[in-house]
Amino acid sequence: MSFITARHIGKTFNGKNNSDPTVAIGDLTLDIEEKEFIAIIGPSGCGKSTFLLMVAGLESATSGELAIEGKPVTGPDHQRAIVFQEFLLFPWKTVKGNIEFGPRINRVDKGICQTLSRDLIRLVGLEGFEECFPHELSGGMKQRVAIARALANKPKVLLMDEPFGALDALTRETMQLELQKIWQKAQCTVLFVTHSITEAIFLADRVVVMGSRPGFVKKILTIDLERPRSRKIHTSHTFRRYEQILKESIWEEEEDGSWERVPALEKRSA
Amino acid sequence: MNPALKTNNRHSHRTWRKFLSPILLILTWEITTRAGLVESWFLPGPFLVFKTLYGMTISGEVPYHTAISMGRAAAGYLAAAVLGIGLGLLIAWSILIEDFFDPLIELIRPLSSFALVPILFLWFGVGDTSKIILIFKSCFFPILLNTIAGIKGVDKKLIMAAKSLGANEGQLWIRVLIPSALPMIITGLRISTAMAMMSLVGVEMLSSDSGLGFLVIDAQRTFDTQRVFAGIIVLSVVGFTVDRVSRIIQSKALYWHTQTSLGGQ
Repeated sequence: MSFITARHIGKTFNGKNNSDPTVAIGDLTLDIEEKEFIAIIGPSGCGKSTFLLMVAGLESATSGELAIEGKPVTGPDHQRAIVFQEFLLFPWKTVKGNIEFGPRINRVDKGICQTLSRDLIRLVGLEGFEECFPHELSGGMKQRVAIARALANKPKVLLMDEPFGALDALTRETMQLELQKIWQKAQCTVLFVTHSITEAIFLADRVVVMGSRPGFVKKILTIDLERPRSRKIHTSHTFRRYEQILKESIWEEEEDGSWERVPALEKRSA
Repeated sequence: MNPALKTNNRHSHRTWRKFLSPILLILTWEITTRAGLVESWFLPGPFLVFKTLYGMTISGEVPYHTAISMGRAAAGYLAAAVLGIGLGLLIAWSILIEDFFDPLIELIRPLSSFALVPILFLWFGVGDTSKIILIFKSCFFPILLNTIAGIKGVDKKLIMAAKSLGANEGQLWIRVLIPSALPMIITGLRISTAMAMMSLVGVEMLSSDSGLGFLVIDAQRTFDTQRVFAGIIVLSVVGFTVDRVSRIIQSKALYWHTQTSLGGQ
């Protein structure tokens, strides 16, 4: 049995003020192996963020079964950490305080917390910024803190909802390289939602293309590129071939018109 | 020149500039009265006023009335802070509690505190109790509403992030919701310090035999204008000090927040 199993997942949001209910996800079936890096791409409103929240236990499915290691997901768990696009650090806590938040509330010994945060700060390259507050950091650094904070609970699953979407192109590329390094050290399963095809190929073992209205798994592409991957890989023939395949898969969707029409539901899932 | 020194210098220039308008006001005031343009029972000069104030301070009159006033203000204010934050948290926590209290809040809140004076005097007499209740009424609502708005305004995704890190309901409130709402709550507390000072003076003028409000109105009744001005100056200084102190407390408690807003992020 796979590490994460999603069977015929459906999600319907009840319309507000008696408006028609919106079907966000129609029928989603997906198997994810342990320590796999999965990227999910798809048009706005395909329910990819909603699916991520379901795995996090922050949103429930209206139908189907979602299980991790055979156990159904019933609510949030510190084994499943989430990183959002908006960083969402605790502004009243220092870098160190933010990273130690998870272990501290889970009653991990103070000394262990400190070793843990020291190691994570080194891992994400924030040495010297331990005592800084979030407002003193740049966007890329904030997201490094958010990743370290998520990893502090030693999660089995790391969920990332467009984590680099708010960063400039150069920082974004650096962060992709960093994330690859972090993931190889942290040894966890990653679900990575993105709008960028190249980001998905660069990072993932498998790219899941979702279709919309309502959301479903349209295509799964295995990325067979050696790791660690460097920036140069972008220009390789295989990389371009993957890019082509994914673009075509998404263009089909575009011709259906659903890429352009953004249903109201994205707001909820966002 | 070192740029840090430069800003420092400019800062001290600014501090000095702020003394200019009060000094000009006092000078004009003194000259007007010395020139005999107005009679001294109508507007006594600042020199006379400060002399009277000095005498009243030495005799213990000003400290006595100030202490009484501050005691009343503090009692009403602290009760409003405790109950306002407490009820605010409960309302933000439960929609049932919100629906229960909301109509009452909306009916009482816009009511002028002084409309309650006749009833308060009838029920509690003209003593300290009715004064403290009136001050409480003035301070309670800004604190209550800011607490509710502060908690309800916390980013839903920040709550999600905390939950996914393993926070249970209690930890979520103590470690995430309340710290996030603190800037709003403290703003409510600061607004209310001014409300407390205003209603304090009002109610002491209506009926009292002590306190700074009484001091001013009593002097007016005997046409002792110098004492009226002396009392007003004390009130102004007290109000200014309270606001300064609460500002310092605010910036100490919210070092991260002030920094953020000043940093323009």
